Amino acid sequence: MILLDISKLYDFSFFFNQQVILDLISGLFCTLSIAFFGIIIGIIIGIILAIGKLVGNKFVRGVVTVYINFVRGTPLLLQLYMLYYVPAFIWHEMSGASLNWSNYIVGMLAVGLNSAAYVGEIFRAGINSVDKGQFEAASSLGFDYKTSLKLIIMPQAIKNILPALGNEFIALTKETAIISVIGARDLMFYSKQATAITYNPFTPLFMAGILYFIVVYSLTKGVSIIERKFAND
Amino acid sequence: MIKVENLTKQFKKNVVLKNISLSIEQNEVIVVIGPSGGGKSTFLRCLNSLEKPTFGKIYFNDLDINDKNNDINKIREKISMVFQQFNLFPHKTALENIILAPIKLNIMNIEEATKRGIELLDLVGLSDKANEYPKNLSGGQKQRVAIARSLAMQPDVILFDEPTSALDPEMIKEVLDVMKGLVGKVTMIVVTHEMNFAKEVGTRLLFLDSGEVIEDSKPLAFFNDPQTDRAKSFLDKIL
Ligand SMILES: Nc1ncnc2c1ncn2[C@@H]1O[C@H](COP(=O)(O)OP(=O)(O)OP(=O)(O)O)[C@@H](O)[C@H]1O
Ligand SMILES: [Mg+2]
Repeated sequence: MILLDISKLYDFSFFFNQQVILDLISGLFCTLSIAFFGIIIGIIIGIILAIGKLVGNKFVRGVVTVYINFVRGTPLLLQLYMLYYVPAFIWHEMSGASLNWSNYIVGMLAVGLNSAAYVGEIFRAGINSVDKGQFEAASSLGFDYKTSLKLIIMPQAIKNILPALGNEFIALTKETAIISVIGARDLMFYSKQATAITYNPFTPLFMAGILYFIVVYSLTKGVSIIERKFAND
Repeated sequence: MIKVENLTKQFKKNVVLKNISLSIEQNEVIVVIGPSGGGKSTFLRCLNSLEKPTFGKIYFNDLDINDKNNDINKIREKISMVFQQFNLFPHKTALENIILAPIKLNIMNIEEATKRGIELLDLVGLSDKANEYPKNLSGGQKQRVAIARSLAMQPDVILFDEPTSALDPEMIKEVLDVMKGLVGKVTMIVVTHEMNFAKEVGTRLLFLDSGEVIEDSKPLAFFNDPQTDRAKSFLDKIL
């Protein structure tokens, strides 16, 4: 009895299936662009969250804390589904029409909003890592909070923030694979589809794995270069 | 110049300063001494609003420094502070540390500030260190740069919180010498354990224990003839 057709494991015949290859490449670009725009959204909203937590009043700090704890305390998959179904449901209840958000946009928002919570904490921790005496010295010279942050604190915090941001970007790039479940056409989506087209579960997934790995490994190298640069000065 | 009225400071239930009232005139050199935890740093930090009083008021040139209508940052330009740990900006050179605030706060343009910064470095004996980063300076040199930095704002008052306590013994003198050079030019309030400095240049001494000003007198009178038992037992311990 043959349990496994070993030849499937090294069946690279789908290389000759032009459509599959093109799909995987377009999936790769989708993954990269989701990761890129996701981190941009994450950084912009993350900075707002960090500022809210550092200088906001009680209410603002409360809202930010709840947001950050919710995002970090629940699965990304749940957040993705919430963003995919809840606004569409509310929209439908209110206007009777259906909401035509592309799953690409929903995926990007979910990844970005999720990342914002982590980025916010990265910024806050980076700022808090700077010796309190630096703030006091700046204040005692007459600098207001904003100027102290800009001229004195951020230039010192950045060496902790940048590597952590890089690591967040790496984690986020891998996590984007989850958006395939709502039908966004990323690398994961097309590699699953290829297994169906070629009746081969192994090689397309293996290909996708290699592509993810190349991207993530290059990013890891980039982050360690940044880390080393800051460690030197 | 500075007027303290019924200053009380609590951290939670812990009363650190108890109903202190006093006024400070221009060009006084006030030394503040007392046992650890007595509230010396807290008192100093209240004077430039790094700590907010729980009760009481502090006036600088008749301005209530904790009144929201008075710009505390403008007031702080005239009350600078020198810290035990120096708190130089590590990403700026010695000269940049000195000229950053005058330039960014639009007190001087770059040329004026640089000229003045070089003069100040000369004053503290560090002309040759203008382009060094703090990490390449000794403790004594860092503190002298920090003093030059606070002078760059042309303050009316400088608050010193144990400026020599983090220094190796052989570096204490160079910092105290710079401070002695400022006597008569600027009002100084100095928390210190350097009793000789207190005797030599202090015009007034505050003995602060358990949040209270126990003695407020001439330094020589304090050391030769302390009036209170607490001051006596403190002096017995340190001398
Ligand atoms: N930020 C703070 N939060 C809570 N308690 C504080 C704070 N700063 C100071 N204290 C407390 O206030 C008291 C007085 O402290 P302070 O630093 O003013 O004393 P000090 O006379 O400067 O002592 P030292 O000679 O050790 O520097 C201490 O009991 C200290 O624990
Ligand atoms: Mg102290």
